[in-house]
Amino acid sequence: MVPALAVAAVIGVTLFIGLRGVAAMRTTSDFLVASRRVTPLLNACAVSGEYLSAASFLGVAGLVLKNGMGALWYPVGFAAGYILMLVLVAAPMRRSGALTVPDFAEARLASPPLRKLAAVVVLVIGALYLVPQFRTAGLVLSVVSATPYWLGVALAGGAVAATLALGGMRAATYVQAFQFVLKLLLFIIPAIWLLASVSDDVRDKALNPEEFTHFERDTTVTFRVDATLEPGGFVPAGSRMEFPAGSQVPQVVGATPPGGDAWQLPLLDLNGAGYPLLGTLAVLIATSLGTMGLPHVIMRFHTSPDGRAARRTAAITVGLLGIFYLFPGIYGVLGRVLVPHLYLSGAADTAVVAMPLQVDDGWRGTLFTTLLTAGAFAAFLATSLGLLLAVSGAIAHDLSPGGLGRLRITVLAAAAAVVVLALFAAPLDAGLLVTWGFTVAASTFSPLLVLGIWWPKLTAAGAIWGVSVGLLSSTAAIAVTLFGPPLSGVLAILTTQPAPWTVPLAAITMVVVSLRGRPPAWAMTAMLRLHLDEAREPMFQPRRGDRSAWYARRLSTVRRRLRRPGR
Amino acid sequence: MAKRVAVMSPQTRLAHSRRRLRGRWRMPRLDPDDAERAQRNYRMQRRRGIASLVLIFAMLLGLPLLLRVAPWLTELRVWAIPVSWLVLAVLPYPLMSWLAAWQLRRAERIEDR
Repeated sequence: MVPALAVAAVIGVTLFIGLRGVAAMRTTSDFLVASRRVTPLLNACAVSGEYLSAASFLGVAGLVLKNGMGALWYPVGFAAGYILMLVLVAAPMRRSGALTVPDFAEARLASPPLRKLAAVVVLVIGALYLVPQFRTAGLVLSVVSATPYWLGVALAGGAVAATLALGGMRAATYVQAFQFVLKLLLFIIPAIWLLASVSDDVRDKALNPEEFTHFERDTTVTFRVDATLEPGGFVPAGSRMEFPAGSQVPQVVGATPPGGDAWQLPLLDLNGAGYPLLGTLAVLIATSLGTMGLPHVIMRFHTSPDGRAARRTAAITVGLLGIFYLFPGIYGVLGRVLVPHLYLSGAADTAVVAMPLQVDDGWRGTLFTTLLTAGAFAAFLATSLGLLLAVSGAIAHDLSPGGLGRLRITVLAAAAAVVVLALFAAPLDAGLLVTWGFTVAASTFSPLLVLGIWWPKLTAAGAIWGVSVGLLSSTAAIAVTLFGPPLSGVLAILTTQPAPWTVPLAAITMVVVSLRGRPPAWAMTAMLRLHLDEAREPMFQPRRGDRSAWYARRLSTVRRRLRRPGR
Repeated sequence: MAKRVAVMSPQTRLAHSRRRLRGRWRMPRLDPDDAERAQRNYRMQRRRGIASLVLIFAMLLGLPLLLRVAPWLTELRVWAIPVSWLVLAVLPYPLMSWLAAWQLRRAERIEDR
């Protein structure tokens, strides 16, 4: 019950900050990008806060428990994405002055069909990314407070939609910056406490893994998803099994038992296909390139006042994420010793939350469970806020333009749709679902942004073909994985993690189709505009040329700066 | 007779012209000085960016390759922790933070001139 109160507190504070943000909100620009007045450090906190989803807070440790040490490559890719962002996208993207990725597509290539297509891509990525967030929130709530899964999901959806509809991005900036600090503390302090209070024996076992073959104490396993055990046969979701101490651990068909040699391999051997290097690189490509194309992250850079600040934001974010990602490994390694049975139940995601009570069943254990639950829920809220905003932005801003009122209604509708989808997603693997969002982003937006910013010969037709090919090939691979026949070997890796072939395919299509057409006469200007840095003291000392002409031409790129002489 | 022009602030004129962007419009030209500066920024940022990209991709390819060709790193231990775990869970983050700071400094220096 206590953890449920902590969740209520997180929602309360989120709503409070959200409501405080309302006072200053007047226009669509306020709602979407906080009127672009956010400093680099605050914005970097907000970017990290938004980015550290339930998948980072709970999922990575769960994946380590379930799949082995190799799962720690996921966060490496998540952080590396911001370096690519820093080098390739951050400053020019901000200087384009566009609000969203579809906006950028139209500003650079002047093609309304491309804008609509980009908005559709935002919807696909948003759905693939939001569903696992809601799913994890529902799972955690159902584990800590014994509420049904659907209630957890519905509650989570309500809180997110209310905050956004009331406060918009201005609220989201503060909510997310606050939640980053909250998450960092709620993740690090329990980790240090766990490390300090486990016995030497546990610490020793954590560093010298042995295969999980026998239960060390009486254990009750509640199966969250259907599983096939060996021996034991099929076990439906929701059933409970008691295992006395010393009894043999059944094998789960299709999963590696924690602690064995395969588990210790520091690479990602996806599906046990036997190609660990290919599997690792496939995940790294998807996560690092995908980060660059995630619509909600791109949108956050628009809240910076200028291109320079956007670039600094990306650089600071790499450091902030680096601090956070030192810790999932600790949870994963300790979790394998403390709660290895979770790999049976399909609820490996809840390992982080389940650990404190295994170490101390008094008030301390409850306290740290509460802190971790609150942190996990904050992680979920922050990511969902940004994503929902990007999705409703795509609908209300690009697909059918309307005012602030329409945007608010869209937020509610989008949240409801995602809640419904999440209700059916309980048995799916969270790590897989999140990487799919990254894969689609990597195969559509990242070639579009990189070529759009750095290659003057890109044409609208090339962009449309490339984005379509990337979208279709990556979603087709996902559909085959979900509904198709079981595959094995290299083929299995290339369908579950299709980024290694869909990204080059999309990029090559873009280049080839562009080269067969002719870019318009203004294409070079449109691209160079993105690389023109803002004037340092624009109002008082025009650096060159006649002042009034200079002012008028300069206006469109830097008008936001000019309007605020105080800064 | 002279053309009649509505008197309005530059901001308002801008807002009005933006609203018409949805139809046909022409990309505003860059000031020749600005165009030259943008061209220079573009070339230098591209050159320096490529160096950083080579480094980050070298890291992303190199570390998994290292762990693949040197499985004995798991046996080797520092403070009882397997070295391969450190290479995977700790080493990338300071490396990437350094790379980010380095790239940021170089990119900003181009624009300071």
